[in-house]
Amino acid sequence: MEKGLIAIAAALAIGIPALATAWAQSKIGAAGGGALAERPELSGTVIILVAIPETMVLLGFVVAYLIIS
Amino acid sequence: MRKVQIIGPKNYLDECVRALHAAAVVHIETGAAGPQGREFLTRLPMEKEKLGERAFLDKAAERLRNLISLLNPPETYRPVRVGNEEIRKLLDDIAPVEEKVRVLHARLDELLDESSTVNRYERLLKGFAPIVSRLGGLKNFDIVGLTIEKTREDVTRLLDAEVANITEGAYQIYVRELDESTIGIVLTYPREFESKVRYLLTGKAISEVKLPDEYAELPLISALKRMGRRKAELPALIREVERESGDISWRWYGTLQGLSRAVDDAIDEIGVLSYASQSRFAFVIEGWVPVSGFEGLKERFAALFGEKVLIRVLDIEEREMDLVPVCIKNPGILRPFEVFLGALPAPRYGSVDPTIYVAVFFPAFWGLIVADIGYGLVILLVSLYLKRRFRDKATLRDLASVLVISSLPAIAFGFLFGEFFGDLGERLGILHPVILDRIKALKTLMVLTVGIGIGHVLLGIVIGAVNRMMRGHAREAAGKAFYFISVVSFLAVMGIVFGYLPKGLFTPGLAVLAASFIALTVIEGVLGPLEFIKALGNIISYMRLMAVGTASVVMALVANRIGSLSDNLVVGVIVAGLLHALNLLLSVLSPSIQSMRLQYVEFFSKFYEGGGRKYSPFRKR
Repeated sequence: MEKGLIAIAAALAIGIPALATAWAQSKIGAAGGGALAERPELSGTVIILVAIPETMVLLGFVVAYLIIS
Repeated sequence: MRKVQIIGPKNYLDECVRALHAAAVVHIETGAAGPQGREFLTRLPMEKEKLGERAFLDKAAERLRNLISLLNPPETYRPVRVGNEEIRKLLDDIAPVEEKVRVLHARLDELLDESSTVNRYERLLKGFAPIVSRLGGLKNFDIVGLTIEKTREDVTRLLDAEVANITEGAYQIYVRELDESTIGIVLTYPREFESKVRYLLTGKAISEVKLPDEYAELPLISALKRMGRRKAELPALIREVERESGDISWRWYGTLQGLSRAVDDAIDEIGVLSYASQSRFAFVIEGWVPVSGFEGLKERFAALFGEKVLIRVLDIEEREMDLVPVCIKNPGILRPFEVFLGALPAPRYGSVDPTIYVAVFFPAFWGLIVADIGYGLVILLVSLYLKRRFRDKATLRDLASVLVISSLPAIAFGFLFGEFFGDLGERLGILHPVILDRIKALKTLMVLTVGIGIGHVLLGIVIGAVNRMMRGHAREAAGKAFYFISVVSFLAVMGIVFGYLPKGLFTPGLAVLAASFIALTVIEGVLGPLEFIKALGNIISYMRLMAVGTASVVMALVANRIGSLSDNLVVGVIVAGLLHALNLLLSVLSPSIQSMRLQYVEFFSKFYEGGGRKYSPFRKR
């Protein structure tokens, strides 16, 4: 039972930030795509903006790892 | 970079502009005319003759661009070198070629249109042709082609009954399936019943086969016959036109490209005149020259004009610092990495060119993620091929060069982690992990990547501090220094808390952290603490090196495991090969994006200052 709860906790720890990252990236990606259509020279900035929320899922991964280890 | 002013008598202006164009080192600046004690200078007015010349050249450039766009470039060609004086003669020479190309292009368009029309009607042709050809001999009979959706098949029976009624049995109806959703009907009846039958068809909302415009005048039977004939003829006609167009392209493409460049150069030379200023007798052109190109420019002008034209070096004032164009120059091996700067605004004059750091860290991070001898070798070979294949396309060639360099650390790390197409090397007993197994040593890899993050982020802060110090921005340099101290002392305190450092250092560590944090806040304001927190997030972000790498190695293991499940060796190898190919593709994309992001977001944000102007010298195309 305890092992199961630990596994669920770890799954939530990475799953929820993964969804949050995906949601944030979908918004930023759509806006970035629009911006690039107007000004292609912004590609560097757009890559940076899209990549920023990824840190959330990495932090989630670390917490998940700490929970199961 | 040096700011220069070129001054000479007005009658030397054209010659001087040509010399500047050939020298190809001066980034010409707008207007020396204006306030600040230069009231005696006015903008040089454009002569009427020059305006006429400019209009002529603009038209010629447009004409050439259109003509070139109509031709397919031959496999190999070399733009012919065309002098200014040859432009008008060559423009006359190409007039008949231009006419011929336009005619051929129009003809090709026509044939392609017809071909696509005929292909669209192919379904109907195939369905109706056998019936229609049988009915071909009937005189005084109308033949109508109809299509209905298959779901309305019942209409056929109704139509049959109604037409029988109208024509008193003197008709024939043929029904045939054209495709899975359409039924074709051919109806033939005596011409005297035409109006009644057509009225019936309109009422029933059945669509008659609509023929394209060029066939609309013909009766259905003749139209379909002609379409069949054209379908057979068209490919050969299209090939013939393409061959003729290809011949012209082979003979003229290089000349047209050369001429187009010469025209653009001539337009540029006239355009530069609008940047020049004048006094009563002299002209003045201002611009920027890299220090390395200055002596050459001076010598060239001395040889051409003696002492008639003067090149003066002007002092760069503090307020002009943001206007100084930036010329990025790196040794050959680093140059491909400049491609990463293309996505960012040019660095500000005097700030750091990060190319060398990218050239070191991008391949290292990329290699650490891919870390597979097999993948590294495949990527090395493919990128060597791409580098050769795209040697004329700078960006693609540079990206291929970056991959060539990056695949080497991937092979090296692959050796250290014992990976050859995942665990294939180990399965075959030829390779074993030298330092660690990426699947088993997750914790070690986490610590290693966080360590890399600490080093990389702190290096970024140090670069930022040193650069600002060298430029005399003492306050900003101090801010960066306290930023560095606060991050280091925080990490030290964490090290003490988790038992990696002696406990006795806790109090001094905490005191240094508090003092540096306060100093950072005083210097940078509210942004200081934010930057501090951001740096900690940045360091953790380097764990992606481990996370993405582990995902890649797991995919490779899965490929081998699924491949080994098959009893048939060939099938197993094919399945594993396909999965490895997919993973290989992801192994190029994902590590590139992650590694690039670590440079852009985590590293550059510590020192990179955008907002510079790119040095773009006035030179021939």
